[in-house]
Amino acid sequence: MKKFVIAAASALFATIAAPAAMANGAQPVELQGGVKVDKLVVENGKEKHVYSDPKVVVPGDKLVFTTTYSNTGAEPVRNFVVTNPLPAAVALAPEGAEKQDVSVDGGKSWGKLGMLKVSDAAGQRSAQASDVTHVRWVLPLLAPGARGAVTYNAIVR
Amino acid sequence: MRAAHGTCAIVALGALAIPSLAHATGVTAGTLIQNTATATYTTGSVSGSITSNTVTVRVDEILDVAVAGLTTAPALAGASNVVLEYTLTNTGNGPEAYNLTVNTAVAGNQFDATLQSVVVDSNGNNTYDPGVDLVLAPGAPTPSIAADGSLRVFVLVNVPGTVVDGQTGQVQLSAAAVTGSGTPGTVFAGQGDGGGDAVVGTSTANQSANDSLTASLATVALAKSATIADPFGGNQPVPGAVVTYTLVATVSGSGQADSLHVTDVIPTGTTYQAGTLKLDAASLSDASDADAGQASAAGIDVNLGTVAGGSTKTVTFDVKID
Repeated sequence: MKKFVIAAASALFATIAAPAAMANGAQPVELQGGVKVDKLVVENGKEKHVYSDPKVVVPGDKLVFTTTYSNTGAEPVRNFVVTNPLPAAVALAPEGAEKQDVSVDGGKSWGKLGMLKVSDAAGQRSAQASDVTHVRWVLPLLAPGARGAVTYNAIVR
Repeated sequence: MRAAHGTCAIVALGALAIPSLAHATGVTAGTLIQNTATATYTTGSVSGSITSNTVTVRVDEILDVAVAGLTTAPALAGASNVVLEYTLTNTGNGPEAYNLTVNTAVAGNQFDATLQSVVVDSNGNNTYDPGVDLVLAPGAPTPSIAADGSLRVFVLVNVPGTVVDGQTGQVQLSAAAVTGSGTPGTVFAGQGDGGGDAVVGTSTANQSANDSLTASLATVALAKSATIADPFGGNQPVPGAVVTYTLVATVSGSGQADSLHVTDVIPTGTTYQAGTLKLDAASLSDASDADAGQASAAGIDVNLGTVAGGSTKTVTFDVKID
């Protein structure tokens, strides 16, 4: 009886895994996510950013989310748009946020932070980094073999 | 088009999750931060989309606490179970219980109260309810307090009988997180709520606050004097002369005298003159009734009730020398 259950379970797993593997195999691009904790350390009187794997993370800590991409195919890839919804528990870090292509309405509209507005109880106000729901990067062309990384800085709410 | 649908689904989730983040102290311990990126692209005339792996970071528990003293209580000498109130706030991001310590011998005290018991406001009405609120056994921690939650703590003390009016004594309540406290940044591995670590926050997870007791006492002095009016227009104590007794009760100090009675007996060889009893020049009936005084052939009794320090009450009555 026990054996049967195991067999059934692995069969189920196989049916789910197989199409995904096939789809991935057909993809000419790869995306790999990563995250580091950004700690400001004072060393010899100078401030220095130290990036480490997240071990202890508490509210207020800074995280750097990285997505590396590569064109593993033989054809050029065009209109390459990486979209990253921010996890609800983090806010986009204010430093450098104005340079990023962001959305404050769940990905419906996009722009630079300084041009976006949000509605609150008092009416409309200028959007702030903490209002950002999504970040994205638009790359017109990825030549075969091209690789790179996009990052955003976040603060644990 | 598929990618657009995917984005919409994520949007809906994000919008739902935001209200739960309205914590002053940050994301709840144990929350998983999960980040996934999606890319859309075209190759030739074919468009495609790909989703990255999901990276997950667990939010650890930060241990913090704030304590506030709420009471500046007047205290009577020898008073027992004076209630001092404190508020204990969990300023961390996970549920936490706290060990409480009471110090009655605070430096600078003019008197030290004696600790009777520590009670937590278990019914949350901000009022000490004897027999209802939870009395903590010595050394027992508080019940767990939710992140951002507060708990009212009552410390019951006795005041020594030897205090002098105006003396002050402070009582200090300290609260330390049960998981641990100490230098900010100290990590208690695996002890955080929600399965992560616990980290001491900026409060050191150990804070204290003082409540103050001020001895508020009253002393009562009673002075008696007499004036005589004889039937001949003089002031000789002869039979038929009327003696007016004046009793002056002076209450001093910052406190008050409770249930203060002025009583006197009618001297032998004299007779109380009906209807002459007065309090602060206002007549009182002789009968035991609604007014403060009563008088008879035996003596007088004026009930002054509660008299604040700094006030004076004058009682007069007449007797005739037999």
